[in-house]
Amino acid sequence: MMKTVSGRRSLLLLSLLAVLLASILVFLYLKSSSEQTTTYTESRDLIRQIKQQDSQWESEVLKSRVAITHNYDPLISPMNEMNRLWARFESMESGHGRDESTQWADAHERYLDARQEKARLVEQFKSHNALLRNSLAFLPSAEDDIQAQLANLSDLDKIQLQNIVTDTYDLLLSALEFAQVASADKASDIEVGLNKLAVNAQRLPAVFQTPIRILSNHIALILREQPIVNRLLDQIEAIPVDERLDTITNMLDLDQQQAERTDQKYHFYLLLFSVLLMLSLLWLAIRLIRSFAEINRVNAALQTANDVLEQRVDERTRELKNVQSELLDAARQAGMAEIATNVLHNVGNVLNSVNISSDLISRKLRSSKALGLGKAMQLINEHPDDLGSFLTEDAKGKLLPGYLNQLVGAIAQEQQEMADELTQMNKSVDHIKDIVATQQSYAGANSMTEPLYINELLEDALRMNAGALTRHHVTVVKEYGDVPQVMGDKHRLLLILINLISNAKYAMSDLSNRPRTMTLGVKIVDDGFLEISVRDDGEGIAPENMTRIFAHGFTTRKDGHGFGLHSCALAAIEMNGHLTAHSDGPGLGALFTLQIPLITVTENA
Amino acid sequence: MNTPTTCPTRSVLFLMLFAPGVNIVAAPLDEPLKPLPDIAKQDPKRVELGRRLFQDPRLSVNNSLSCASCHQLDKNGADSRALSLGFDGQPVAVNTPTVLNASLNFRQFWDGRVETLEEQSNVVITSPHEMGNDWNTVVQRIADDPGYRQSFNTAYPDAVTKANIQNALTSYERTLLTPGSRFDQYLLGNTDILTLDEKYGYQRFKDYGCIACHQGVNIGGNMYQKFGVFGDYIADRGNPTVADQGRFNVTGDENDRAVFKVPSLRNVALTAPYFHDGSAPTLERAVDVMFQYQLGRMPSEQDKALIIEFLKTLTGHWEGQP
Repeated sequence: MMKTVSGRRSLLLLSLLAVLLASILVFLYLKSSSEQTTTYTESRDLIRQIKQQDSQWESEVLKSRVAITHNYDPLISPMNEMNRLWARFESMESGHGRDESTQWADAHERYLDARQEKARLVEQFKSHNALLRNSLAFLPSAEDDIQAQLANLSDLDKIQLQNIVTDTYDLLLSALEFAQVASADKASDIEVGLNKLAVNAQRLPAVFQTPIRILSNHIALILREQPIVNRLLDQIEAIPVDERLDTITNMLDLDQQQAERTDQKYHFYLLLFSVLLMLSLLWLAIRLIRSFAEINRVNAALQTANDVLEQRVDERTRELKNVQSELLDAARQAGMAEIATNVLHNVGNVLNSVNISSDLISRKLRSSKALGLGKAMQLINEHPDDLGSFLTEDAKGKLLPGYLNQLVGAIAQEQQEMADELTQMNKSVDHIKDIVATQQSYAGANSMTEPLYINELLEDALRMNAGALTRHHVTVVKEYGDVPQVMGDKHRLLLILINLISNAKYAMSDLSNRPRTMTLGVKIVDDGFLEISVRDDGEGIAPENMTRIFAHGFTTRKDGHGFGLHSCALAAIEMNGHLTAHSDGPGLGALFTLQIPLITVTENA
Repeated sequence: MNTPTTCPTRSVLFLMLFAPGVNIVAAPLDEPLKPLPDIAKQDPKRVELGRRLFQDPRLSVNNSLSCASCHQLDKNGADSRALSLGFDGQPVAVNTPTVLNASLNFRQFWDGRVETLEEQSNVVITSPHEMGNDWNTVVQRIADDPGYRQSFNTAYPDAVTKANIQNALTSYERTLLTPGSRFDQYLLGNTDILTLDEKYGYQRFKDYGCIACHQGVNIGGNMYQKFGVFGDYIADRGNPTVADQGRFNVTGDENDRAVFKVPSLRNVALTAPYFHDGSAPTLERAVDVMFQYQLGRMPSEQDKALIIEFLKTLTGHWEGQP
């Protein structure tokens, strides 16, 4: 017993251990899920895309610088795209909870600052570059406007004119060179050229003033804007957006390496705990298989015990059956003996009358008048010769005829009396035959239904108990209802009735202070049952015995075997009826009622 | 061994299928000016909400002004006044730029102080000179309207909020594009749609350097520029105001003084008066100012007329109106 308990406990512990290991595994699995890796790849990809957009931005700036394109939209879309990608990156990283560290915040801040600064410079570049490109593009035609007019001038000194043309041309060249290399030398060249142009303008007619002013303005603008554009370009290039992004990438890499190491750790633990789980499950399985075998073994043992028990029960049942059949035989024999006693009583009673009759007849024969006939014949034989005279003359002889006549009359009467007595005796003999025949017909009869009048059956039962009833001075009251011929089991009914009548008789045997009355009743109840009742006013039944009165072996009599009522009840049930007992208490008599299904003969036919 | 023979056959078929299309639709022109993009697909429920909000005077503190009070949709999304009147009846600081195609500008406002339309709506609604309102009041007023409440509930998961009101407004504003201008059709390859003069006008537009700033998809609206490169326009105009300082008000950088966002030239023929101060009542005047102060050049009258001819081809369509 102790072993089972401890076994069960260890099994429970083992299961708990397995569950614990499984939850640890789930926990580790969740912890080690590759979310980090996916966000890592995505984040890296986003940063890479931002870098791409950044270089795209720079290349568009350079394109504008060399006037390949006049469209500034391409300088805006990379920035917008960078903003969009960054927003995605930010939301992803914050979703990952990485932006908590100051290092991260710092790196982000520095990138954003760099980008902001770069955007500011690019915007300035756009404005200045647009002006510069515009003036540079206009320069040749502005110069052309002046030169064409100069060519038309004829009233000026040729050499002076030539100088003005050369000065203007030199200025244009200086400006264009300056656009290539914005050196201080070139700048001073331009300033000298501008001054010369202003001086020259004063020598020229009024119509030249405006074109020269326009040219001067544009060259001045180039002089002013070119260094600004160059400076802005340098500044833009110097903005470390790239480096900031690389920093972030490096941090991502470091983070990822860290995560991978953690992952590896988790994987190791996963493996370890998996193995442990496997082992514990294996052990559990072995334990289960073992306990299963144990259960099987116990089951088999139980089966065997069960079989043995069943066998014993069978044996006992068989024994009981044997006892019962023995008892049944005993009861039957007892019943038969009772019936036989009754029959013999009755037969004895009838034999009494047979005896009387035969005595009477023999006495009649002994004192028969036929003897007188012999005396008469003797007288006649003494007178063989003179019979006639004797009859006529002798005094004795003369009386003889008269005597013979009287004798004839007497013998005839005697014969009549004897014949009557013989008839009486025959009847008695027939009665005996009847009784014997009745007894034989009941003894050993099967459960066979036959048409019968229940009243006659009651009479038969009474007749079989007649001797005892008479001996005990029992008055039988008959309350027979109008009952038709029914189908019934004569043997069982008679068995019950004889028993009931006999019981009633016994119940009243101690009764001395009042007449012993037994009431037999027959009636139909509920239209479907035939009810036969036997009531006595004897000792009654104690309430505590009421329940077991029909039980096998119950008896209140010294010499009883407790089988009568039991077999009666059985017989009643065998006939689909039932036998009930009722008593108002000890000393108040008892009523036994047999109810059997009513099957009338006409119904049956 | 069959594939080498089938593959060329297939590609020939492919070419034949597509060749007619290439012939019918002429190739788009590669110009510094770009045609309008298609209107982005948006939730029609949000657009409709934005349309209602755009016309709703409850956005202003005293229920006097809606967005549409200044951005008059029947006047090409702008105001015919040089300076619109705020909720208090006082003129605001700058001329109302058109709301049409505004979503294509790289920044909003003349001084480009905000990057998004959402922020633009926020500034206008809370500006003490324009709508003078605060968001608590706006959200309260909108949420108290059962019609709005229901519409917001169906269009947004979190009903009436500041962000959702802004989103609805901008969703609507993003639909306010004016496609189909004759010049766009020209850019898309239909070169016959412009007259010879208009084509010359476009040529002059490029030659004189207007294109240095007015380029891209919105023909402007993608960069800042100093107003008054050759000469000081504001000084010549007189009465300088704080608003005349332009981006300087935003950055504090001396270089940004009188720097403004280059406005879009789409529908320019219909959006008089011009400039941040609305000081140019006619297109001719605006073109003159541009030549004098921005380009530093004197065009011939003929060239100027040609350029104006060209500018008129930039008028697109919005809901069937020119």
